[in-house]
Amino acid sequence: MNLIAELEGLVDKLKTQLAQAVSLPDLEELRVSFVGRKGALAGLMNKLKDLAPQERPAFGQKANEIKQILSDLLEKRLEELKAQKEAADLVTFDATLPGRQPWRGSLHPITQVIEEICAIYEKLGYDVVGGPEVETDFYNFEALNFPHDHPARDMQDTLYVNEGIVMRTHTSPVEVRTMLASKKPPVAVVIPGKVYRRDSDITHTPMFHQIEGLIVGKNLNLCDLRGTLAYMCRSLFGKTVNVRFRPSFFPFTEPSAEVDISCIMCNGKGHIDGQPCRVCKTTGWLEILGCGMTDPNVYAFSGFDRECTGFAFGLGVERVAMLKYGIGDLRLFFENDLRFLQQFS
Amino acid sequence: MLLSLNWLREFVPYTGSPEELGARLTMLGLELDGVSHPFPAIEGMVVGRIEECKKHPDSDHLILCRVNLGSEIVDIICGAPNTAPGQHVVVAPVGSTMPDGTKVKKAKLRGQESNGIICSERELGLSDDHRGILVLDEEMSGPFTLGQNAREAMGLDTAVLDISVTPNRGDCLSVLGLARETALAFNLPLTLPAIDYAGVERGSCALEGLQLEVESGDVSSYYHLRAIEGLKVGRSPAWLRWRLQGVGQRSISNLVDVTNYVMLELGQPLHSFDLHKVRGGKVRVALAGEGEKLVTLDGQERQLVTRDITIRDAEGPIGLGGVMGGANSDIDAQSSAVLLEGAIFNPSLIRRTSKRLHLSSEASYRFERGVDQSMCGYALERAAAMIAKLGQGKLSAGSLGSEPKPWVAPLLPLRRERAELLIGVSLTPEFCEDCLSKLGCKLEKDCTEAGRETWRVAPPNHRPDLEREVDLIEELARVYGFDNLPQTLPEVERPAEKAGEAKSIYQFVSRVKHWAAGLGLNEVVNYSFVGHKDLDLFGLPAEGRLSIMNPLTSDMDVLRTALLPGLMNSLRNNLAQGAGGLRVFEVANAFTADPASETTAHENLRLGLLFYGDRFSAGWPQTQAEADYLDVKGVVEALLDKLRLPAAVYANMAVDSGKALPWLLPGVSVSLVINGQSVQLGWIGRVKPEIADVYHARKNVWAAELDMDLLYKLSLGVKPRSKPLPVFPPVRRDITVIAPLGLEAEAVLAVIKKSSPAGLESVSLVDLFLPAGGQERNLTFRLTYRAADRTLQDAEVDKLRDSMAAALVKALPVRI
Repeated sequence: MNLIAELEGLVDKLKTQLAQAVSLPDLEELRVSFVGRKGALAGLMNKLKDLAPQERPAFGQKANEIKQILSDLLEKRLEELKAQKEAADLVTFDATLPGRQPWRGSLHPITQVIEEICAIYEKLGYDVVGGPEVETDFYNFEALNFPHDHPARDMQDTLYVNEGIVMRTHTSPVEVRTMLASKKPPVAVVIPGKVYRRDSDITHTPMFHQIEGLIVGKNLNLCDLRGTLAYMCRSLFGKTVNVRFRPSFFPFTEPSAEVDISCIMCNGKGHIDGQPCRVCKTTGWLEILGCGMTDPNVYAFSGFDRECTGFAFGLGVERVAMLKYGIGDLRLFFENDLRFLQQFS
Repeated sequence: MLLSLNWLREFVPYTGSPEELGARLTMLGLELDGVSHPFPAIEGMVVGRIEECKKHPDSDHLILCRVNLGSEIVDIICGAPNTAPGQHVVVAPVGSTMPDGTKVKKAKLRGQESNGIICSERELGLSDDHRGILVLDEEMSGPFTLGQNAREAMGLDTAVLDISVTPNRGDCLSVLGLARETALAFNLPLTLPAIDYAGVERGSCALEGLQLEVESGDVSSYYHLRAIEGLKVGRSPAWLRWRLQGVGQRSISNLVDVTNYVMLELGQPLHSFDLHKVRGGKVRVALAGEGEKLVTLDGQERQLVTRDITIRDAEGPIGLGGVMGGANSDIDAQSSAVLLEGAIFNPSLIRRTSKRLHLSSEASYRFERGVDQSMCGYALERAAAMIAKLGQGKLSAGSLGSEPKPWVAPLLPLRRERAELLIGVSLTPEFCEDCLSKLGCKLEKDCTEAGRETWRVAPPNHRPDLEREVDLIEELARVYGFDNLPQTLPEVERPAEKAGEAKSIYQFVSRVKHWAAGLGLNEVVNYSFVGHKDLDLFGLPAEGRLSIMNPLTSDMDVLRTALLPGLMNSLRNNLAQGAGGLRVFEVANAFTADPASETTAHENLRLGLLFYGDRFSAGWPQTQAEADYLDVKGVVEALLDKLRLPAAVYANMAVDSGKALPWLLPGVSVSLVINGQSVQLGWIGRVKPEIADVYHARKNVWAAELDMDLLYKLSLGVKPRSKPLPVFPPVRRDITVIAPLGLEAEAVLAVIKKSSPAGLESVSLVDLFLPAGGQERNLTFRLTYRAADRTLQDAEVDKLRDSMAAALVKALPVRI
């Protein structure tokens, strides 16, 4: 029965060696050499065939017992070593180390304002459409009721690409293109995009962004225009913002109006703690957009019935962004300074 | 338009504040830009009387004056030569502030005390005159109240409103026009000033020998002349000078100032010719002859074209009608007879001339916007009488004139029903009638058209902008008050056929932008224009560029044909701020000429990427490294994957076609073509160091540009499908290929993919090793084998790998 003794000997042997195993790889090595496919236990098991048949059941039973003991020993040591390692790791852990920094990506504030405004209108059922930035005089002026040799053209100093071809001075030409494409009402679109003017100073850049809106439908009136734009202004600047409409002039709308919102810095009071408000220059109002009922001449140029009802509006994206985010300098939009851009991440 | 409140009060008895007036006008569509207070310098000055003048004992030119300020009598030392007892003068008392900011203090001049300053016109900011003190008795008739505020005593304007007038409201470019709106706003009566003939001598008709001819056609619809003779040119009286100055106009002489005054007051531009300079007894109003020239009043020689309106005498042009007079007929210090012109010229001809010559005058500005023809005769008469009075001349009897096209007010239909439909509230007939009448319209109310109530409305002569029914509806809305209308949110009709429409390019672009920002890239926005020299620097083709005809600067004289020049500007700006790295993107159009397009332009929406410097946003916990080709390419690959498009083929253009892009380093100029597509999607590469250097970039600049229009088009065809997950386990093998330098990884991959029979699920590069000094590199690929229907056996996979190795060695100059 010396084979059984050998089996039993494995237990003490493993115990001795386990005491010296201080790392997980050491332990793995021991596991392989004792209970692995070619380990000591397997070696003894192979001798089973040398035993007399009547001895075999007792040997087999013993071998299984020993295997269980060895496995338990190994498992126990494994738990101990794991616990030791975790304890060691805890010592080096520092909750206050800075994290592994991902890059802070950002959408340009112009994009953010455009998307916010377009989302307001998409919710109301408008589609977002676009059009060319290089435009013909016809779409940019004539079809919008700016006659040739008319001072209304002075309202927008124009950059020319060719005779009769301009950099669009507003997003309004897309109104005409949209109506021509749709052939008949209803139409409800918003048109964000780049526009160009021959103008450059502290409050003007030769390129800027506008969002245009156009709706033509059944019995639309000035009250609907007021309601729609008030809804937009309050969605953008908050529920408590007041909106006022001043009569104005645009060739492509009649009646026309400019829309002011109550100053978001001083809440329309004109003063902050007794100091004059620099944003609204004490008027309490900020001009935010132009609008009006679409002029019958524009319908005629666009292939619509002159008696259609509908309205249009346009606003400057940079102006809204400046008010909304408190940006003081228009040039920041086009310098693309990371320190500015990353504030909008 | 600058509006003096005192001047306005001559037309309408408005008693409120300038701010309140401005607020009401603003809500009527005449926006107040601001209120200014002219003559601020005179704020603290008072009227005094010189009681006594004595020579200063210790000075040849200083004079000791005793000045009565009403409440006290003070001694003031004065250096002016024109002081005399009894004069009423303007005194800056001790404690007041002079226009230059100095505080007036008690002073001692050579031992004598001085308690204030007696002011000259220059010191008061009234003119450049500093020859002596301002003596009020010489400028205006008393009586004067001693100690009275000088600004009040002198009748100076204290409040001037700056009103911005929209191009349709030419009628409001005058005190009269704004007075009409004030009368409307406050329900006040309006009075026109009477023509003042008091003390004016009427003479015989000096115009008898003069022949007037007005060219037929649309040149001028009204042209009248008056003559005033025996005039003395001189300074205008104080009230006139000060009034003009109050609204920012310079006083020139009594004869010229009157025409400006009446224009500002009534809105009618007038012009004075020197009657004696009109040659040959003839005045002709006609279009210019080809090649003619005229020196205008500002001394500039103007080349005329046949669309310019000229005023001519027997020998040639003497004025550019409605724009500016000619130097050859101007009023000068010797002039004694004036030929005064009151006319209406064709607005579009005036505008063309003024635009072409870059010559915008107060006259052309008003003519372009429409002048009330029915007021022209009145304005001419008022100005003629004033000139005669101020120049002590003779007003000749009668005028010489012609009115080829009398003004006829249109008769406009007005459907109250239509007005209610557009405005959205019910409008009573009483409101409409009251409103239109107050605006000066004449109404015929009991008309019908097609069985519907339709009024007929004749707008007043001063409102040529009221041309259509909708213009009248706007007036009704304006007077009703836009802010008195309710706010309603209309339902938006949506046609059923819109269902199932493809996603718009706006949605697509938005999706890409959000993806890029989420990936850690920063969006930039650059101008669409750059300079030709920028495009030249990048070697972008000169053909097909779209130039700006009238650029602001040479930095912005062409539309960009690629996004890269703009991205490089963003890089330069950030490097100047000390940025260590940049990873930016931009979505914008590139523009090229396209003769087939109605706009002459082809606009191609592109995605631009630029990577520079730091690969990681911080130097910890990993070691900082520099961004390279693989950073940009990885982003491009991820984008195609995100859009569920097939992978692209990346071809080194120098190797492939020998044609690298001119702005990229030849060895690293890579073109992209999506698998299965024939058109190029874009490029990736490293910007040439000599170009990068211009933008102060010392490290490698990596960039890419993709065609977003193409990506959008391809993305529309994508139908997302889910794949079932594999059931059986994969078996992995690595293979290291020792390849000569120059053999592209893609070439090795191609053989691997081609030679491997079914069972190879995927292959990816896991290691690249360059043994020192060698001509070879070691590429290690990980091969993943899997069968769909069973677990692969090791031996089986080993065999597959071995046959692949053999194929590689056979096909390529490589070892395994």
